[in-house]
Amino acid sequence: MLELEIAHNWPGFQLQLHLTIGAELIVLFGRSGAGKSLTLRAVAGLFHPASGRIILNGRVLLDTRSGINVPPQARRVGYVPQGYALFPHLTVFENVAYGLRSSSKEVHHRVMEWLDRVGLADLAGRRPHQLSGGQQQRVALARALAIQPDVLLLDEPLSALDAPTRSELQALIRTLQRQLNIPVLFVTHQLAEAVLLADRIAVLEGGRLLQVGLPKDVLHRPARPEVAHLVGVRNLLRGQVRGISPEGLRVWIGEREIRAHWDPAAPPPPAGADLLVCIRAERIALVRPDRLPPPERENLMEGEIIRESDYGLSQVLLFRVYGPRLTPERDYDLEIEIPPYVYERLGLDRIRRWTIAIRPESVHGIPCG
Amino acid sequence: MDWFPLLLSAQVATLATAINLLLGIAVGWLLARRSFPIRDLVGALVTIPLVLPPTVLGYYLLVALGRTSPIGQALEALGVPLVFTWRGAVVAAAVSSLPLMIQSCRAAFEGVDPELEQVARTLGRSEWEVFWTITLPLAWRGILAGMILSFARALGDFGATLMVAGNIPGRTQTLAIAVYDAVQANDPTRAGILVALLSIFGILTLVAAQQLGRRLAA
Repeated sequence: MLELEIAHNWPGFQLQLHLTIGAELIVLFGRSGAGKSLTLRAVAGLFHPASGRIILNGRVLLDTRSGINVPPQARRVGYVPQGYALFPHLTVFENVAYGLRSSSKEVHHRVMEWLDRVGLADLAGRRPHQLSGGQQQRVALARALAIQPDVLLLDEPLSALDAPTRSELQALIRTLQRQLNIPVLFVTHQLAEAVLLADRIAVLEGGRLLQVGLPKDVLHRPARPEVAHLVGVRNLLRGQVRGISPEGLRVWIGEREIRAHWDPAAPPPPAGADLLVCIRAERIALVRPDRLPPPERENLMEGEIIRESDYGLSQVLLFRVYGPRLTPERDYDLEIEIPPYVYERLGLDRIRRWTIAIRPESVHGIPCG
Repeated sequence: MDWFPLLLSAQVATLATAINLLLGIAVGWLLARRSFPIRDLVGALVTIPLVLPPTVLGYYLLVALGRTSPIGQALEALGVPLVFTWRGAVVAAAVSSLPLMIQSCRAAFEGVDPELEQVARTLGRSEWEVFWTITLPLAWRGILAGMILSFARALGDFGATLMVAGNIPGRTQTLAIAVYDAVQANDPTRAGILVALLSIFGILTLVAAQQLGRRLAA
């Protein structure tokens, strides 16, 4: 268990976050410059925040109030920086053995065991420059884990790798975390990787934590507008609360009422409160006239496709609703993303007038002042 | 042919390089890895022998180490006077070639990615161990190149050595001074041989330094 509470000020940038991590894989997600790497470096003891506390399994690593600052040597953290930082003058074996101090027989046994676990047992004698990027990352993992750390810190570990190698290593990291059962902090700016790997995602922006939650919650229930932008919500609409009913929240957008999800545990927002309404482009369905769902179950709107963009793996349609508009300030109301085969099956290049259906669970409102 | 100047020069340059190796590693590392208030001043001070006329440098050393100075008197009392001895030639050669050594060491240490040292620390190794197992081995080629340059410069020093150690044949007359002496004595053959020796050696060391530098870059 890792408890982290750090703050540091620079001119124009402020790092301030509080995070508690169990034996889980936490992804620190955000743009570059959000403070993700700094957070890892603070845990490793390579960056000293002006104030804060870091407690790892009950051991106080940093407490600025009582002047405790355990040096990196004694922290028992496995740190893999971006670019791996393998020692270029040492062999794979020597790299992994670097942090071990015990009899040479035991070291040999442990190094070979780790090289075996990351699938590099037959490359022990190579130098780092003779390895591929994926192999280098495996060595860096083995080296960090061989010292039996209490936490593993991975800074953009896979960003320089090609797609197949990347997914192999994603699986390896996931497996190792489950086997070792230690907290893993994994930094990435790639949403798909964050969602795939994370037990929980911590979204950082400008040195602050915007949201910490399950991947599906961060994706579908962003807590703040900035998170909605970061997780790629393309339909962000201004609306007002009309009221709350058993079916959910009733929201007024433009001149229309839309039903939205509201967590029953959360206090309902007052009527008239401003909301930023998030609807993921992937969550809007085009339905045939003969298969319309009952209007009390889903939000139904008639309209037409006015433009589209072909992204190869998906089609993005710009849709304008008939009647009261949702966003009168531009010529379309919603972006809809669908796979190419759906586009072809529905004959969207010919048929442009459609009814769209949006389930209330797919409509998420962020209260905004 | 009297080979004494050649032997003396080899001895002086070797000892000067050995002293500079220690000083160069220590100061070069400090300049590359530590920030302290007077770093730029220290950086300038250790470079100044490169731009001062060697006679000026020699004059400073003479004043600092001579019989009238506290250091000179202390050395005299210990029975190891420097001025007008071959030891003085070592000091003069070391000081005049020190900037080359420190600059090479500084560049070599700056070329080592600090992240490697940081990772080594997280792996539990002490600062001292990190220096010996990571920093120094990775900076070694640059330091070696600095040693070669420094050795060549020490071997060729004339002005500072003349000021501090004088020109005493058979005692403090180094190769470079012997060239001057031979010309003064109107002995072109001897001057020619000595000049050829110094030139060949100078070219060889610079070729070696370049090759090391290229391998360093690769």
